[in-house]
Amino acid sequence: MVSGPYMFLRTRVDKVNAELVTLTYGTIVAQLCTDYDYDYTQVNQQLDKMGYNIGMRLIEDFLAKSNTGRCGNFRDTAEMISKVGFKIFLNITPTVTNWTADNKQFSLLFDENPLADFVELPDDGRAQDELWFSNILCGVLRGALEMVQMSIEARFVSDMLRGNDVTEMRVTLIRYIEDEMPPDDE
Amino acid sequence: MVVYSFYIFDRHAECIYKRQWLPPAISTTGKTSRPSSQTYVNGGPHSRSVLSAEDDAKLIFGTVFSLRNMVRKLGGEDDSFLSYRTSQYRLHYYETPTNTKFVMLTDTKSGSMRLALQQIYVNCYVEYVVKNPLSPVEHPGGIGVNNELFEASLEQFVVGSILHAE
Repeated sequence: MVSGPYMFLRTRVDKVNAELVTLTYGTIVAQLCTDYDYDYTQVNQQLDKMGYNIGMRLIEDFLAKSNTGRCGNFRDTAEMISKVGFKIFLNITPTVTNWTADNKQFSLLFDENPLADFVELPDDGRAQDELWFSNILCGVLRGALEMVQMSIEARFVSDMLRGNDVTEMRVTLIRYIEDEMPPDDE
Repeated sequence: MVVYSFYIFDRHAECIYKRQWLPPAISTTGKTSRPSSQTYVNGGPHSRSVLSAEDDAKLIFGTVFSLRNMVRKLGGEDDSFLSYRTSQYRLHYYETPTNTKFVMLTDTKSGSMRLALQQIYVNCYVEYVVKNPLSPVEHPGGIGVNNELFEASLEQFVVGSILHAE
């Protein structure tokens, strides 16, 4: 039996003011728009790349906090993402729906999106059709799942900020990544 | 109990951290079985063939990789390799879903180290390596793993907790 200072249980997730997160993210998006001269395609790509880098680290924190084992299939993965992952980090539970028959595609429907509180897209004739404001979430998902051997594609297909009825992210499993073997020597 | 050595392997089958608590000359890693008349008390370079630290790590990785795959073949995808014991040492294994592998070699008297290895992952590796933005996400050659906070927390954990257990 192991005893000592490291046996404390990690049941507490530190709280941070939600508006600080929202405003920080908003500042990042606004700065990217300025930096890329309002080329919203570029902004979307940068948000995805930033999210990918975040996801590769966040998955370890998720595994450490949730004590989750390996997911057996993509349906279990979707439930874990929705009910545990988003719950831990954003305190929301998006709905998993719209599975394809081959169980390789599903949608996440966001009734709430803390990143987009207080946000109204600019009326410049292009943002409504080109900017995916919360695109960082797609990158986070792609980076995190790659670390647990799933190559996926994630993209928004509708967004309430654009005037759509729902905010929907479509997630597609491309392939499972095989274990790497050590190089042969001797 | 005694901890002999500790290794971390990443998802690319590379050793990204290694730590020994006894001199290599009397480490039991890689020791082949000998007649009982052989005396081990004096240790020394003749107690085992001298492998480099890199070869030790490769040998250990190959062993646990094969055992882990064999366990899944025999027991199903949900089965896990936990540990093996020889007459001289016991090897403990913990693998995360991100394919980071934690291996610890101890004396034969130690019990299960699964919780200890998980604690090392949760409280030392994730806190001081993964969450350090100046440590890269990948660690070729061990870059970013042997930072001071990680090593200090690992040392404190091993010396402060494990060595006083049982």
